[in-house]
Amino acid sequence: MPLVFKLAFRNLFHDRLRFVATLIGIVFSIVLVTVQMGLYVGFGRMVTTMIDHASADLWIVPKGTKCFEDPSLLAVRNQFRVRATNGVIDALPIVVGFADWRIPSGGTTPVFIIGSDLRAKALLPWNLVEGHLEALSMPDAIAVDRSYFDRLGISGLDATAEIRQQRVRVAAVTNGIRSFTTTPYVFMDFDRARLRIGISVDEATYILVRLSPEAKVNAVRRQLLANISDIEVLTSSEFRNRSIWFWLFGTGAGAALFGGALLGIIVGTVIVAQTLYSSTKEHLIEFATLRAIGSSNLYIYKVIICQALISAVIGFFIAALIDAAIVRMTAATALPIVITSNLTLSLFLLTVLMCVASAIAAIVRVTRVDPVVVFAR
Amino acid sequence: MTKLVIEAIEVAKVLGSGAAQVRALKGVSLSLKGGELALLMGPSGSGKTTLLSVLGCMLTPTTGTVRVGGRSTEGATLEELTKLRRDNVGFIFQSYHLFPTLNATDNVRLALDVRDEPTKEAVARSKEALAKVGLSHKTGAYPRELSSGEQQRVAIARAIVANASAILADEPTAALDGENGRAIMMILSTIAKDRSRGVLVVTHDARIEPFADRVIYLEDGRIVREEQKIVLTSIRSQTGSG
Repeated sequence: MPLVFKLAFRNLFHDRLRFVATLIGIVFSIVLVTVQMGLYVGFGRMVTTMIDHASADLWIVPKGTKCFEDPSLLAVRNQFRVRATNGVIDALPIVVGFADWRIPSGGTTPVFIIGSDLRAKALLPWNLVEGHLEALSMPDAIAVDRSYFDRLGISGLDATAEIRQQRVRVAAVTNGIRSFTTTPYVFMDFDRARLRIGISVDEATYILVRLSPEAKVNAVRRQLLANISDIEVLTSSEFRNRSIWFWLFGTGAGAALFGGALLGIIVGTVIVAQTLYSSTKEHLIEFATLRAIGSSNLYIYKVIICQALISAVIGFFIAALIDAAIVRMTAATALPIVITSNLTLSLFLLTVLMCVASAIAAIVRVTRVDPVVVFAR
Repeated sequence: MTKLVIEAIEVAKVLGSGAAQVRALKGVSLSLKGGELALLMGPSGSGKTTLLSVLGCMLTPTTGTVRVGGRSTEGATLEELTKLRRDNVGFIFQSYHLFPTLNATDNVRLALDVRDEPTKEAVARSKEALAKVGLSHKTGAYPRELSSGEQQRVAIARAIVANASAILADEPTAALDGENGRAIMMILSTIAKDRSRGVLVVTHDARIEPFADRVIYLEDGRIVREEQKIVLTSIRSQTGSG
């Protein structure tokens, strides 16, 4: 085993209480940052889940649309102009909007209706656990997520209720299609959705555009904007980013998440820096001895950085176990914490960076140590 | 011809500043030859430790010249002084300054590790050095498991393992009883048999004078007397180890 590593490891474990304090600092910090960032990722996914599952290369949205759940209206006849545009294979109108769901046992609750042409498969429910997509073509048929059964006052497949005084029947049940606004999504056929939301027959919310493989997105976009007024043409990615930006930064939710994460980083860095510094101070005579026997500054820095890295790896591992438990616990909640492999890698790098940055104070202290002190003791 | 391993010419050293300024060394000239064991004696505050620090490249002289391994320390940066020390000097301290978390082999190996010696060779050489000081049976022992005399022997092994030409020892027997002190001095005198290596020992302990080739007396920052000893050879031949 390299002696630098051994020395660093033994220095850390020599004072176990201090090492535990260091680990608590790292774990606290990383768990806090992970929860905040996991909420951010989870939030982002929920905000854009409909956009992600729609089959579209471009979205035609009413001018000024802030996010998917911000329905304005555009003329459905625009779809014919869209279809006539070079490079466009298909144009599919969809409607979305809020409506009141009359609970069978009494009372109402708001729902968010998504209506699309079932044959065109522009935006259909996914993760079906009961029933079939084909069943949605039946009159009054809808699909809802099973996590909202209690909220909607229904028991499952074939349950009935009313939206806008019109009967609906659960023909398909999904799993995991949850809304971050906590308003249940209800999928149904395009025409019936328009009736339930209360939109006239010549209106739609969005037009989803499918392009031919050789079509140039920007060229199509330019043509569409030239031919149709009061619209915006967004790629899925642009619409996704706009929705995330609106919900996270337009509402202040993002600032709270990032603020919490920043707080975690600061607290973690301070705790780790403080414990590394005091550990270094306690071993100062050993570092002076190293200087006396001819070690370079670099060698001593390696020992301290190694201590920081060992702390980072062990701290991150413990934090990762706690994070995994948190992810499991929140998986079925309205706002799950989502940890992706990229987020995990980023958090590990952040942990390493935080610990190495924390070592700077200790390094500065050691740099000032005079090897002559070895004679004084 | 024996070579000079360390040489000081008219070295003066001023410590502190302002009212607290102290002239610790006032024109000291001395040399340490390979194959020689010299004692540096004198009362407390006479400048022994300051001289040892200057000779060991831990401090630079205010005036005068110090040559270590033939190279002057004049104008050297801290890193250059460190390299000079690393290449030429081995230290032995009164309080041993062993690393409590490392065993004897690793404590010795540190002196090679800071010189980037590969691990396998470093371990072998560390064990050899420990064998030379009679600790081949304690290579895996931690400092807390060793007696004071054994700890000082580990410190000696650390000082000699990298083949430093100058071994500078600061009161190496001060914390030891008479028997252990003699044993340590026997080891040091054996080390000084090597004509490429000189040993300079700072001490108050008059009992170890018989081990020295030369005794240098320092008072008030000046060398006041030097005595060449002739009894050493017989003592060395008694030790017989090597």
